[in-house]
Amino acid sequence: MEIPLAQEVIFGLVIGSYIALGAVGFTLVYGLVNMINFAHGEFITIGAFAGYLAVVVAGLPLPVGILVALVATAVVGWGIARITFEPMNETGAVPLLMMSIGLGFVLRNGMRVIAGPSSRRVRLDVATYRFDDLGFFVTSQQLLIIGLALAAVVVMHLFLSRTMLGIAMRATSDNEDLALVSGIDTRRIRNAVWLAASGLAGVAGVMLALSQGANPTTGFGQLLLIITAAILGGAGSPYGAVVGAYLLGIGITVSVEFLPSGLTELNATMAFVVLIVVLLIRPGGIVNTEVRTS
Amino acid sequence: MAGTDSRIGRPTAPTEASVMSLLEVTALDAGYGDMQVLHGVDIDVDDGEYVALVGPNGAGKSTAMKSIVGIATRMGGTITFDGTELTDLDPTGIVERGIGYVPQTANVFPSLTVEENLAVGGYQLGGLPDDRKAAVVEQFPVLEERLDQRAGNLSGGQQQMLAMARALIPEPRLLLLDEPSAGLAPDLVERMFDHIDAINDLGVTVLMVEQNAKTALRRCDRGYVLAQGENRYADDGDTLLNDPEVRRQFLGG
Repeated sequence: MEIPLAQEVIFGLVIGSYIALGAVGFTLVYGLVNMINFAHGEFITIGAFAGYLAVVVAGLPLPVGILVALVATAVVGWGIARITFEPMNETGAVPLLMMSIGLGFVLRNGMRVIAGPSSRRVRLDVATYRFDDLGFFVTSQQLLIIGLALAAVVVMHLFLSRTMLGIAMRATSDNEDLALVSGIDTRRIRNAVWLAASGLAGVAGVMLALSQGANPTTGFGQLLLIITAAILGGAGSPYGAVVGAYLLGIGITVSVEFLPSGLTELNATMAFVVLIVVLLIRPGGIVNTEVRTS
Repeated sequence: MAGTDSRIGRPTAPTEASVMSLLEVTALDAGYGDMQVLHGVDIDVDDGEYVALVGPNGAGKSTAMKSIVGIATRMGGTITFDGTELTDLDPTGIVERGIGYVPQTANVFPSLTVEENLAVGGYQLGGLPDDRKAAVVEQFPVLEERLDQRAGNLSGGQQQMLAMARALIPEPRLLLLDEPSAGLAPDLVERMFDHIDAINDLGVTVLMVEQNAKTALRRCDRGYVLAQGENRYADDGDTLLNDPEVRRQFLGG
């Protein structure tokens, strides 16, 4: 069956939306805590289960459920980071990376023990809007996911550019030593980063619970795409992560159009082909210089 | 400066503060990790003074500054500021007590605008007060029309001025300047020292490290000559400048 290009772009925007929220958090942690957090996928999984519990089990209205998942994941992610990463903050990137790999493994399997391997879907009444002339349709659920991501990106931008804490975060990302001697409490900045990164992961988790279901590997399954989007945009740049995520999402779905049938399973591989090409041409990421210094 | 006192607000000012220097560095041993750079260095700076630290490369001048602000490893001795022992404080607490620091290099946040750099200076004030912004822009007029530019796009001299302006936002009592003239064109060097004079004239105590030793000693009230991590000479700037031994050893004749 032939799927029109416009339809693939919409699917790509949906994928890009939850990748974006995951990648922004991942890249903030990378830029400000100076670590690669391999457990970031598990924070997303926590969000997916929190969304399921809030909407399906507790029966809360969806907007409230999303808010509950955001706050719960923010607090849980921050708490986990306080216990595991913060005490070893001075040890450097490699021990932190190893800790995050181990932590991710423990969290993933811990959730499997508690929740079992099966997937739990958050089902909503979905309205479908068809644009037959243009050859595509869009569902209310897809619009919700894209709209949520858009809102999150706008809030992130306002936070980073208009608030003292946001400006201090960008300053710390630029030059941590100078931030310290300028009077910025970098420990407080790290706390804020963990809250923000985990909160965004929580929203991404709800999006995944809506579109694919919540299971113990929901977030882990997206981790490679999240890391790719962050690198694609220029590691450490939240704006770059957003751009990288949508390029990746649309790249994955649109590449299906050009791959021979039977090889469509390779569409995720296409994303990495794009990454390799970009890194060879612009090692700093696509939007690195434009977004971060202009 | 007024304002700083009320913000720091020690409830009972010790009476001995009046006979103590604003900054007292006594028998300071310091360095980085296990590597000791300073060996028993003494530096006193009185309230309102303008003091220069000069000496050859590797003398430990910058290390002394970094020890005061808490980013080098302090191994022994004491650092007292306005009667408060700084040894156990982290940089945040040291800045809070009224010390501003301008490193030699990488002293602005390149991806932030000029105004955002100034706002970082106001972090502990909770934001950038309009009167503080106006005051530093008056001090450094070159910043006024560049408030929305990225700091990374400024020239070296403009970045140096922005770095000083940022450090002055919270009205520090003591300003530490590490090589403010480094990398500047010769005509800019004198202008930079004029700016420092003006800052000092406003009542801000200045402790400055300078490679440009002759100019620094000519401009300052008092100077310290450090070499190999130890005190060598300490006197009025002009006295050091005219001392034949100091000239021969440290000022190139």
